[in-house]
Amino acid sequence: MNDERGGRGELKAIGYYHALVPPEWIAAHGLRPRWIAPRSLGARSRVGTSRGVCPYAGACVDAALDGAASAGVVMTTTCDQMRYAAALVEQEGRVPCFLLNVPSTWRTAEARGLYREEVERLGRFLVRRGGTAPTPAGLARVMLEYDRARSALLADRERLAARQFAESLRNVGSADAAERWDRAEGCRRQATRVAGAPEGEERIALALVGGPFVAQDRAMLDRIERAGGRIVLNAADGGERTMPAPFDRARLEADPLGELTRAYFDSIPHVFRRPNDGLYAWLGRKLAEREVRGIVFRRYVWCDLWHAELDRLRRWSPVPVLDLDVADDDRSAGARATGRIEAFLETLRRAGRPAESRFSGETGKRIEPIGERPR
Amino acid sequence: MNRPARRITLEAWGRRYDELCAAGLCEPDYGGPLARHVDDGDLRLCKLAMDDSAAALRLWNFLLTEDDRLRRARAGGARIVGTMKDLGTVPVMAYSLDDVVAFYPDGAWWIPCVMERTAGLLEIADSLGIDDSFCPVRAMLGAFVNEAHFPIPDLLTCSVGATCDDLSAIAQRLEALGHPVVWWEIPHRRRPDAGEDAVRLPGRFVAPRRQVDFVRRQLEGVAAALADLAGQSLDDERLAAGIRRANRVRRLLDELRQLAFTAAACPLPALEMLIAEMLAIHFCSDPNESIAVLEALLGEVRRRVAAGVGILPAEAVRVFWVNPVADLRVMNLLEDAGGRVCGTEYLFCHALDPIPDDLAPMEALAQMALADPMVGSPADRASRICADARRFGAEAVVISRIPGASHCAMEGAVLGAAVRQRLGIPVVEIEVPPISDAVEPALRTRLEALIETAKDHGSR
Repeated sequence: MNDERGGRGELKAIGYYHALVPPEWIAAHGLRPRWIAPRSLGARSRVGTSRGVCPYAGACVDAALDGAASAGVVMTTTCDQMRYAAALVEQEGRVPCFLLNVPSTWRTAEARGLYREEVERLGRFLVRRGGTAPTPAGLARVMLEYDRARSALLADRERLAARQFAESLRNVGSADAAERWDRAEGCRRQATRVAGAPEGEERIALALVGGPFVAQDRAMLDRIERAGGRIVLNAADGGERTMPAPFDRARLEADPLGELTRAYFDSIPHVFRRPNDGLYAWLGRKLAEREVRGIVFRRYVWCDLWHAELDRLRRWSPVPVLDLDVADDDRSAGARATGRIEAFLETLRRAGRPAESRFSGETGKRIEPIGERPR
Repeated sequence: MNRPARRITLEAWGRRYDELCAAGLCEPDYGGPLARHVDDGDLRLCKLAMDDSAAALRLWNFLLTEDDRLRRARAGGARIVGTMKDLGTVPVMAYSLDDVVAFYPDGAWWIPCVMERTAGLLEIADSLGIDDSFCPVRAMLGAFVNEAHFPIPDLLTCSVGATCDDLSAIAQRLEALGHPVVWWEIPHRRRPDAGEDAVRLPGRFVAPRRQVDFVRRQLEGVAAALADLAGQSLDDERLAAGIRRANRVRRLLDELRQLAFTAAACPLPALEMLIAEMLAIHFCSDPNESIAVLEALLGEVRRRVAAGVGILPAEAVRVFWVNPVADLRVMNLLEDAGGRVCGTEYLFCHALDPIPDDLAPMEALAQMALADPMVGSPADRASRICADARRFGAEAVVISRIPGASHCAMEGAVLGAAVRQRLGIPVVEIEVPPISDAVEPALRTRLEALIETAKDHGSR
């Protein structure tokens, strides 16, 4: 196994797959976090072709076993298939695997305490993998660096193409401390209007909702924007929705790990949360704020958590929802998705702007927010 | 009298019922001929081969009248608790209270099989976007919507965390449809770190002390909700009594399994054993009657074993079965193919282990909940399967996949590899839909091939 080499140092890479894994915690241990986006869905996957296997989970197994981060990988209990995927990676024994237990319930101090304990346990794993436990001040410093990088990206969100924004977010989550700010700045400098967007044509504001992307799939973001859409809200896993809340300086100084827990566990609305009404509360605010006219809902076949929400989202959403199910790398599937996106945009264009929206839950009850993300 | 035991069809059961009545059969109030359930829509009975004993008759009647029992309880003023994704923990707590009846809504997953899809539950689930990429437990969603199979509970609990996504996602939809849920967290059971305070759980697993404490506090929250519903305190004394009763069920099942799985001639069919085991997790809405049903079944098995009477040829290949089947008929298929079930892990082996009675009751229940084979690594589960398969002398293993179930997609690789490596016996993975008629030839072929392979393996 080859150690992952950073561009300017020899930091060991620790891979992870989920937004509830704080990269600043890994970086504060002197290791390089790597937010792994599997290159593609595993058409030749070890497990990905089995019936019932989520192709993303299968691709994550492959990426881990192929040495995407040789010092270790962090997987999470945020979905059942990833929990089992971790067992497969452990069984193979090629790369150390840490399974971070992220509670599904979130409204109790007990659940928050469990998450914090798990992050601490992750810290001990990182030390075993060659890291050094950070001092509180050291952790706070790294957290602020990440916070600045994320804020810079958010400030430039509107100037960035959807793909650039998505990739920059992932880059920030994959960079060591020295690189983070540079990457965000580089992204700012490269920001251009969306390549290939039709001249003079009305651009339809869209939200992207659903599961995580593999690297190859980010081309879909370009396709949407070339077809005349504009993704004003990336609410997919790994997008804006799963960014941690900005850190509070006072709390950060008093208890950095507590603030890390708050910013991640208390603040990221997610489909696996029970209950997950916070996801809808967040979406409700953002859809209205960004004047979204349509939702592209992207889910993997066999992903129960997102799939089950599709019907509920459709009933709840004041704007149309396009369902894109993703099974594998089949080229024809990509072409079919493009055709569906184009038709969706055409429909929205003809429909014109909707009347004032009503955002309510499936039962009409008021949806309580999971946590505010003041920005 | 050494009357031969047999598996018989529903039609034959009509004649057998008359014989039993003529011989003075005494039945509980839910008794009667099995054919009446077909009139109620339980069409699958017509395709099953069932044990011909009075004890089996009572078991079937008990199973197929749960709906009536729940409605009577509601009419009688009892509070009804639905315990979702709960394999033997919260029902013990609920039944420790007076006038509280708990049931297992997930059990609706067998309705499409038993009623041969005439109930329309899967179609209702489809209409809510929960299609056949989900586990057949999606039938539960339909049952909540049409309210035709169980009364809407007064309290609904659901464990989440290290549980299957299918049920978690469906339970979330239920809540969004206006059925409030008391969620409680069951963390993924991990191995204790070096030097970490650890607890040996009932069964063979070990967990960190802090995880046990966490689950105990979660259960205390559930207990508070139950006590609030019942207007009674769920104190240790009540809980200890509830645990003793649950242990009575478990001890009966333990002896039943021991006899049925190890007797030279198989004394009870796999189908009835499957249903009997299910009583451990939710008591079919009546713990005392569960005990009576199991006592009758055990009495029959003891008689048969003593008399050397079996329902299958002595040379039947001994098969360990993993996961419950969505279509009950497949248990018949195995026996038709020349196999007999000699051990099981139907996702809840922990619910068959006695609950420790020398611990504080809530601590004991927390340990039981964490001992669930499904909340830990499949490697842990594989170790229990291998140990039990070895104990019962299994010659082959069937891993039965539940279509669409999130855990089944990957676990087969882990379980199968462990069995082959540690036991060196043949393993086959099959997938069983709620109605398997269309794939029956393929299933039959796979099971026959397994039996032949096991025979060949055993003769070498």
